[in-house]
Amino acid sequence: MGLPLFDAQSDPGPSFVRFAEMAGLTLPPAPSEHSAHATTVAAVRYADGVVMVGDRQATSYYVANRDVRKIEPADRYTALAISGSAARGIEFIRLAQLSFEHYEKMSDSALSLEGKANYLSPLIQRNNLTSALVVLPLLAGWDLAHQCGRIFEYDGAGGCYERHDFAVIGSGSPFADSTLRLGYRADMNRDDALALAALAIYEAADNDPSTGGPDFVRSIFPMIVTLTSEGFRELDQDVAASTFRSINDRRSESGGVAGGTLR
Amino acid sequence: MSNYFYVAPEQLIKDRAEFAQKGIARGRSIVAAIFDVGVVLVAENPSASLYKISEIYDRIAFAGVGKYNEFDRLREAGIRWADGTGYTYSREDVDARALANYYAQHLGDMFTEGQKPLEVEILVAQLGNKFRPTKLYRIAYEGTISDEENFAVLGGDAETIKGRFAALEVGHLSLADTLKNAVTALAGPERELPVGDLEVGVLEDRGDRRTFARLSDEQIAGLLT
Repeated sequence: MGLPLFDAQSDPGPSFVRFAEMAGLTLPPAPSEHSAHATTVAAVRYADGVVMVGDRQATSYYVANRDVRKIEPADRYTALAISGSAARGIEFIRLAQLSFEHYEKMSDSALSLEGKANYLSPLIQRNNLTSALVVLPLLAGWDLAHQCGRIFEYDGAGGCYERHDFAVIGSGSPFADSTLRLGYRADMNRDDALALAALAIYEAADNDPSTGGPDFVRSIFPMIVTLTSEGFRELDQDVAASTFRSINDRRSESGGVAGGTLR
Repeated sequence: MSNYFYVAPEQLIKDRAEFAQKGIARGRSIVAAIFDVGVVLVAENPSASLYKISEIYDRIAFAGVGKYNEFDRLREAGIRWADGTGYTYSREDVDARALANYYAQHLGDMFTEGQKPLEVEILVAQLGNKFRPTKLYRIAYEGTISDEENFAVLGGDAETIKGRFAALEVGHLSLADTLKNAVTALAGPERELPVGDLEVGVLEDRGDRRTFARLSDEQIAGLLT
């Protein structure tokens, strides 16, 4: 690639995607038969931010991968989770990360959280309308201007919706969503929100074969991420291990039944 | 029918060079220097929003003097080139030398074939790691590229400032000492530069992927005391 110079009329501005299209760096996504997919990721808002928990399994006709990272930092204050096609999803995260950084460098100021959320809409639309492999992301971040954690979910056509309580993506959504609906309270503290989000993933993994639960044999546990005024933070796998072990122990004691109370 | 008068190529180049030099000489200068653990870029710039120094990539910074709109367009092209290359290949494949060469080609083309030469002088700085050396590439208005050792000065009064800085800076000093020397060299013996007129960018490893940081007035004042 030579030096990409544009005249004032055709200048793509600070958008990396528009530039990449003009420079021919991106190819239109082509349909493919094989795709690893299925996932459950839950995001829960609490008093000081957002906690996100995501399973680690990639599934095609069989388990394709057991330690996939489905939640990635999009930048210092934002996390992006993906569900759907793994191949398109990874590309989606890469493009989003690069776009936010590109914007920041080009215009010497970071995009607002809402700006980042809106920027993803046409990307989803373009991907899902031109490709057989659908990607649905979930965006959560710490809003520096408004000093609060915020969650944005999307529909398949690229529609962007802010959620003030919690949001779920992936094939295990019905089970995770039910768990969150029963257990959610406004202004929870971090530990309660974390325990609830982890329980939602546990329920999803218990009922959806395409969602991976805690793997005590290989010591692979769902990813736990928090977004607070300190930014994106991934919790140690030790924390995830003890969180899921305690859910598991309670569930064995009750003979596999959640049993009326949320346990 | 219009008449074309013959102009000797020597004359043409001389005229163009004079034109570009005049434009560059109007602007204030920049000192870029390698210190013990990084690269510091110091500009005299009274504007707090129209920057002369900026981030291109994880370990690459840019500085420009002369006409703002012209070097800012080069800065944007550099960011696009770096992000595009990193996206196509890998972040490790983004190399300051390749970018400096593209800039040199473009400036050279504009000098000989453009409507007018660009009235800019630019610098591409790279913070080294295991795979690449720390480098300062200075690219002049006519496309001459020079690989500067230890430090580089851009702008109209470059030779004088270069002399002053070379007399002060012996070996690779700390960030604070290098910054002090750069400011002293930029100011000269007759005046003092207020912190508000300084723009400072630093490339330094802090454990993050991105190594560029713009220093605030408070940080600059802290380092200068």
